[in-house]
Amino acid sequence: MPPKKSLGAEYLKGLWDENPVFRQLLGMCPTLAVTNAVINGFAMGLATAFVLILSSLVVSSIKKLIPSQVRIATYIVIIASFVTIADRFLAAFFPPISKALGPYVPLIVVNCIILGRQEAFSSKNSIGRSLVDALGMSTGFILALLVLSSIRELLGAGTFLSYQVLGSWFKPWIIMILPAGAFITLGVLLGLAILIETKTKTRSS
Amino acid sequence: MDLLTIFVAAILVNNFVLYYFLGICPFLGVSKKIDAAFSMGMAVTFVMSLTAVVSWMINHWVLIPFGLDYLQIVSFILVIASLVQLVEMFIRKMSPPLYQALGIYLPLITTNCAIMGLALLAALKDYNFIQTVVFGVGSGLGFTLAIVLMAGIREQLDLADVPEPLKGAGIALIVAGIMALAFSGFSGMIK
Amino acid sequence: MSLSARMIVVLTVVGLVSGSLLAVVGLLTKDRIEMNRQQEIQTAISQVIPSTKTSQKIYEDDSLTVYESRNESKNAVGYAVYTSGTGFQDIITLMYGTDPSLSNIKDLTILEQKETPGLGAKITDQEAFLRYWKNRNCEQPLSLRKPAVDSPENLDPSEVNTITGATISSEKVLDIVNASLERLKAIKEQGKLSSEEKNAS
Repeated sequence: MPPKKSLGAEYLKGLWDENPVFRQLLGMCPTLAVTNAVINGFAMGLATAFVLILSSLVVSSIKKLIPSQVRIATYIVIIASFVTIADRFLAAFFPPISKALGPYVPLIVVNCIILGRQEAFSSKNSIGRSLVDALGMSTGFILALLVLSSIRELLGAGTFLSYQVLGSWFKPWIIMILPAGAFITLGVLLGLAILIETKTKTRSS
Repeated sequence: MDLLTIFVAAILVNNFVLYYFLGICPFLGVSKKIDAAFSMGMAVTFVMSLTAVVSWMINHWVLIPFGLDYLQIVSFILVIASLVQLVEMFIRKMSPPLYQALGIYLPLITTNCAIMGLALLAALKDYNFIQTVVFGVGSGLGFTLAIVLMAGIREQLDLADVPEPLKGAGIALIVAGIMALAFSGFSGMIK
Repeated sequence: MSLSARMIVVLTVVGLVSGSLLAVVGLLTKDRIEMNRQQEIQTAISQVIPSTKTSQKIYEDDSLTVYESRNESKNAVGYAVYTSGTGFQDIITLMYGTDPSLSNIKDLTILEQKETPGLGAKITDQEAFLRYWKNRNCEQPLSLRKPAVDSPENLDPSEVNTITGATISSEKVLDIVNASLERLKAIKEQGKLSSEEKNAS
């Protein structure tokens, strides 16, 4: 087993080195689907964070009790329960957001980030460490959604959080709101992430 | 809604990959050979059609009559996971050649959000039984179409001079964007 | 404990705990979710028939739901029709209000749509689309004015305006309304659209 990182490093790795979207290419479906407006991306990020953090807490606290043959099934039930809670909560208290996100809230259940973190981390680490890991990954995921949705909303509608930012001279690029804009923006951002990574690596070596 | 509309919409207008963004992981990861992509697509179509049938039955015979709609997500995901297991065991027993062709893709399918997405979307759209089946088959074929087209393009992309940082997922996503744009030309074709 | 026994116990316990947790959450949120749905319908009804004081569902089938609206003095002032159909991209769900004789559309509102942002999505826009739907004569099927005009006064009473650049979305809304109106008239003819008897008794 590799030497244990400090808790701070455990948190920070989710932001960049192991960022779920930009570095691990996980959770692409919601990343692409709900980032047409900042508010949707943010709500999605929070809902995912809620599920990821609570699932990590539960899994890491009962990890010794779960026989390894049925661990995936157990994780899935735990994750699905928290997803249902998030879905119901949004539908009850934030109906417009629930409507805008549609089936993508229930789909958090198949977001590979969540099952992946349980399998790779929470099932092997202490409760505190799993919590920090989940917090870091959630922050990384929310950041990725915010970056993508800010670009798309700004260029696609000239607004940020529905406030007009760009003046009337700006003709919105409708393609940015469409599925095509999601794919292309994320593709360019992934390229940028790799570019930054290689540039900083060559400089440090 | 008539069945042809649902079928054509599922394949072209509201393509699972390019409009609903479902099944992106296999779309970006697996597809580099047309044959393999086609087999994967067929495996997904097969599981999707089954999922459509089973999830409809669970939803309409168990969850709705007993007011258990809050168990929808849990039961759908469990059904999909066990369905994939069963299908895998069944094919391995009954038809080794088919297992050779599809088998390796089956475990990947459980975490494929397209399957769960299908079950949820069919429930959300309130389709009846036949409509759900048609929607399942159409969505599977739509997924196959997208993944096979992508594989064809990526075979060519290997020879293209792509900027270093964009190689791999970056250029694949940009290509997907252009495909999505092309597919949006099908919008409005349904009367 | 043997391994298989442990597997069964763990799965059962996890299943039971999550099941009961969800049952509680389900109960706690159920009323509120239902209330949200009702509220959305109510708001839409008073939007398409402004004089509505109370409303009551009087007809429902696969393709349309009809609410009868009554004003302050409990007189029937019209029907609010909730229906949906295929749009340019995906399903469009809308509601419109008619007078009791089904000869006049008072107003229209779009409840759900996934049309192209900036183009087809203008069907939710008052200025660009909805204001041309007020007070339409619908004794005959409505028709679309092409090319578009820039003021409701320039339309015939049985015409609605097109959104420039989104002809298909405008057409789809018109088709949905016309199709449901035709069905509604048939339903009324069969006498299935009256709540008077129920109310009188």
